[in-house]
Amino acid sequence: MPSGVRVPLRLVIGLAVAIALDTGLQLVWKTGVAEIPDSLSVWETVVVVALNPIFLLVIVFMAAQLVNWLKVLDHADLSYAKPFTSLSYVTVCCLSVLLLGEHVAPMQIVGIVVVIAGVWCVSMTRPATLGSGAEPE
Amino acid sequence: MTPTAFGVLLVVVSTVVEGFGQTFLKKSALDVSRRSYWIMLGVGVLIVEVVLYSGALRYLSVSTAFPITSLSFVMVTLLSKWLLGEHVMPLRWLGVALILIGSSLIVAHA
Repeated sequence: MPSGVRVPLRLVIGLAVAIALDTGLQLVWKTGVAEIPDSLSVWETVVVVALNPIFLLVIVFMAAQLVNWLKVLDHADLSYAKPFTSLSYVTVCCLSVLLLGEHVAPMQIVGIVVVIAGVWCVSMTRPATLGSGAEPE
Repeated sequence: MTPTAFGVLLVVVSTVVEGFGQTFLKKSALDVSRRSYWIMLGVGVLIVEVVLYSGALRYLSVSTAFPITSLSFVMVTLLSKWLLGEHVMPLRWLGVALILIGSSLIVAHA
């Protein structure tokens, strides 16, 4: 277990930005989808989505997320970096209750805690490096 | 199939798709000579995931749908081992098991 493994600052910043972008994307995405009436056909839904500026914001979030994530993967293994994004479960859960008025059942909160515990276990394993693109330990 | 069950099914399928998309994006960092190819392939696959997840959000709240996407950790771990050759240790498998349990709890109360 890599206790004391030093993580490069740029990787820490990249992971923090990934969590922030993930949170923003989820909330904006849900807000946009919620505005689409249920009675629309598939084609009408496509038109509504194309004309709604919220979905432009969704695309901007996705593009920024992709660029940032490619930078992260330049410096870390996929199975090492990916688990850290689980922190966005906490931020999305809290903000969806605060901003969107959604209800979260107690057992769902237990489930989220168990998921994060699992992801923490994954993150505590040795971040084995692959190829020349990965950061040396 | 109830609307909630259909929404959960869409999210689960989207996590499988994301596993492949993430693997392709990581390949772009490993196979630098074909970086653009892997990025385009990864982005293409992730667009499919976007469509599936958008459909899921019609039936589920984001606080339910988003945590279920944690199943993508299972896919990423399996594909990292099979396709990228990463070494997956026992503690990592324990983590994957906990993720499955946690996701099941969330789905059961959706």
